Amino acid sequence: MQPTRFLLKNRSVWKGPHIVPLPIVRPEAGKKIAPIRTQARSATILPNFVGLKFQIHNGKVYHDVTITEDMVGHKLGEFAQTRKPFIWKR
Amino acid sequence: MVQILGVNFHELKLVKKALETFYALGPRTSERILAKHYIHPRAKMGSLAPKTVTALTAELSTMKIENDARKEVQDNIKRLRDMGTYRGKRHGQNLPVRGQRTRTQIWTARKLNKIERRG
Repeated sequence: MQPTRFLLKNRSVWKGPHIVPLPIVRPEAGKKIAPIRTQARSATILPNFVGLKFQIHNGKVYHDVTITEDMVGHKLGEFAQTRKPFIWKR
Repeated sequence: MVQILGVNFHELKLVKKALETFYALGPRTSERILAKHYIHPRAKMGSLAPKTVTALTAELSTMKIENDARKEVQDNIKRLRDMGTYRGKRHGQNLPVRGQRTRTQIWTARKLNKIERRG
């Protein structure tokens, strides 16, 4: 139970982590796979995502993100910024 | 003057309030510590026996308070920033982290949200 509890953050236990079906293919040895292009920003990062490359939609373009071990439990959307920084110009 | 963990407290200060002056030690934890050492909730520093004072110091030195607790907060912010999350970026910009409005009323965020957070 404990490892799953970590993925829940503030969600209830009966719901479990927010899992979105993503086309994840385990790479065979010596082969490279294309990054996974997704718009599911609310998908929880599961431990089996570690090391994979994602292209996360920010509403306009897709941002390349490589998943590391620290990111487990966060949402995909946290790593693709949606807002443009405000720059004041004349 | 009574010394706990290298800090001097006045004899008339409440023990509970004296414990709460340490960072990361709030009302709940100080209540627990008082109960553990059989100290009355309204007891003052002057009424403590020297044996209890040393016991309190020994107890506090094992806990994660003051700089250790600050370090933990800073490490958490640093981890968010190194991962490249939105929250980490907002900490770096001294702006609200959880989607609050920024048009007005962001004094608290300006004061607190930093990479090397002090308080």
